[in-house]
Amino acid sequence: MSETWLLDRLLIWIPLVLSLSIHEWAHAACANALGDDTAARQGRLTLNPLEHMDPVGSFLLPLLGIPFGWAKPVPIDFSRFRCGADTGIVLTAAAGPLSNLALALVATLAGALCVGLGTVTPKAGSAAWQLVHTTVLLNLLLACFNLLPIPPLDGSRVVDGLIPGGWRETWDAFARLSPLLLAAVLVVPVLAGGSLLAWPMAWASALLDAAAGVAGSAGSG
Amino acid sequence: MRKRFKTLLLWTLCVVCFLLFYQLANPAPPPRQEYSAFLSDVAAGDAIAEVRIDSNKIRVRRWDGWEYSTLGVVDDEMTQTLSEQGVMIAWGPQPQPFRKLLTVGGPIVLVLALFVYFLKKAQGQTTNALSMRKTTARRIDATTGVSFADVGGCGDAKEHLCDLIDFLDHPDRWVGAGVRLPRGVLLEGPPGCGKTLLARAVAGESKANFYLISASEFVEMFVGVGAARVRDTFETASKNAPAVIFIDELDAVGRRRGSGIGAANDEREQTLNQLLVCMDGFEIRDRVVVIAATNRSDVLDPALLRPGRFDRRIRIEALSASQRREVLAIHTRRMQLGEDLDLGTVAAGTANFSGAELESLVNEAGLRAVRRMRAGGDSKAVLRSFDFTEALACGAEECRRFDCVDALLVESTTQLARPTGKARVRLTLAEGTLVEGELVWADATLLKLRGDGPNESMLVPKQQIRTIEALEGTEWTKDVSPDRLLAHTPELA
Repeated sequence: MSETWLLDRLLIWIPLVLSLSIHEWAHAACANALGDDTAARQGRLTLNPLEHMDPVGSFLLPLLGIPFGWAKPVPIDFSRFRCGADTGIVLTAAAGPLSNLALALVATLAGALCVGLGTVTPKAGSAAWQLVHTTVLLNLLLACFNLLPIPPLDGSRVVDGLIPGGWRETWDAFARLSPLLLAAVLVVPVLAGGSLLAWPMAWASALLDAAAGVAGSAGSG
Repeated sequence: MRKRFKTLLLWTLCVVCFLLFYQLANPAPPPRQEYSAFLSDVAAGDAIAEVRIDSNKIRVRRWDGWEYSTLGVVDDEMTQTLSEQGVMIAWGPQPQPFRKLLTVGGPIVLVLALFVYFLKKAQGQTTNALSMRKTTARRIDATTGVSFADVGGCGDAKEHLCDLIDFLDHPDRWVGAGVRLPRGVLLEGPPGCGKTLLARAVAGESKANFYLISASEFVEMFVGVGAARVRDTFETASKNAPAVIFIDELDAVGRRRGSGIGAANDEREQTLNQLLVCMDGFEIRDRVVVIAATNRSDVLDPALLRPGRFDRRIRIEALSASQRREVLAIHTRRMQLGEDLDLGTVAAGTANFSGAELESLVNEAGLRAVRRMRAGGDSKAVLRSFDFTEALACGAEECRRFDCVDALLVESTTQLARPTGKARVRLTLAEGTLVEGELVWADATLLKLRGDGPNESMLVPKQQIRTIEALEGTEWTKDVSPDRLLAHTPELA
């Protein structure tokens, strides 16, 4: 075991907690804007990570190195939406992953900006670049994962809100299999020799390289 | 504003920690040079100040302050040369004290934190088994707001209880006269006569600590819990002496012992035994009084009722007219009374009403008054006498009549019961009609009678029945509906 195992995990855990906070905050903010203040009254409309951390999902699992985790779910009362429950569900649920994507984009831009200004060098040894890289990676991962249409992930709620009446029964039957499906999605890539992180990592690297390249050339040019 | 600041602070802290940890995990190595540069420095003889060798990585610090690292091997000959030059040679990786702290201390702190967390979670579950043996008695403090003035009637009971309260508050007077504190007081009476209300009044009046528990709360699923709870209740009370323990619905545990076989009774009997011992056992607890209330004193175990345990047995009698008037006055205290309302008349017309029934009547009348106020747009709800008459006429009256009819039907049919189970009744209805027939069935509001002729059957609403006469065997008639408002039953002064 590497001597720095805890440090490595902490280096991933910090951006993870911050990203999860933003994710949950986005859910709460969207619901609040649409008319349901249940989450706001419970104090979830905050970026404070301590309010969103769940002892098992945000603390235990990541620090044990298990590449899976969650924050405390945000309570939402669908009947209070001004725009109707269905539209409301879709918007609120989508708000989470979209916020993660937004954060990834922001981090990329910030990184590119710093590179362009010359304050940060995009090489492996730089702490700030590592932060940017990890943030982008984690947020892309969270966004993609949450958009999967498997209950209880956010993607499934989007489907819930959009699904036409005739398909509802099929969807419910599908939903009953969801724990198995979720386990399969998590386990199968590992067994197949790949990693769940493979795609997002590739995208993240591509994105960042592109941004850095653009910024670098813009800065020096 | 503070919250926002706190959040911002946390985020900044997180980012700073991240950068810090990163530096600790990957200390920045000095710039890389070629091995030949190192060799030339060695050859120069006095350029190098310090060398750190970590397997094949060599970190060099020169006298002019410049640091660099290179990859290569330092053999014995070179070591010799370097030491001759006075260079400080160190082997092994760079020691980083903070890193050690974090990598060793960190996991320990983490494990401790998790341990504490799970311990706290587990504690919430284990206390269940232990806490079950604790008493469930609730401590009522003097702010119940009920005093003896709020209890109408019950003159005897109030007197006895006043003595008790005085004994608890000023024991010296009584002890000086050689009198000991009565250990128990049993309040007996039909439902609704004010037993629990009296107990609340005692809690409000007395300065002693008041503990309220219902007898059925002693016993639970697990064996021995009842006895443990009784013990704990008495212990708590004696620790906080002077104290009054009020046990409501004593007949739940106080029934005669040995009346049945089976585990269900064992547990209750154990609890009862413990109660007997605590009340008058080896250790006499001073300045703790038990007041108990029950509807069914006939089923109580005689050992419980002997003097020395429940010394005083107070029967709460049915209310006389003047007592009823008192009760009505208490309940209408906060209401606006009209000039035509005479509580005495109302009291006279409500014979055999218990305190609770009177309270319910007053409430009903109040509801009607409010309804009238809302309909008429008045500002205040004023009680008038017809509110009471209406309240009496409907509601309880109807139910009472139905209950009467039902009770009578049960009695009459059982009196006439034969294997074939026929019952003939003669009914007098409101308009004076006489109906006679064989009782086929009865439900909540109707009776069905089969007449003598073929296909003759009648449905009679119970509401209209005034008299039932059971034929075939008994000459037994009952008038179902006393006209309450007009009848003046003879009363004791």
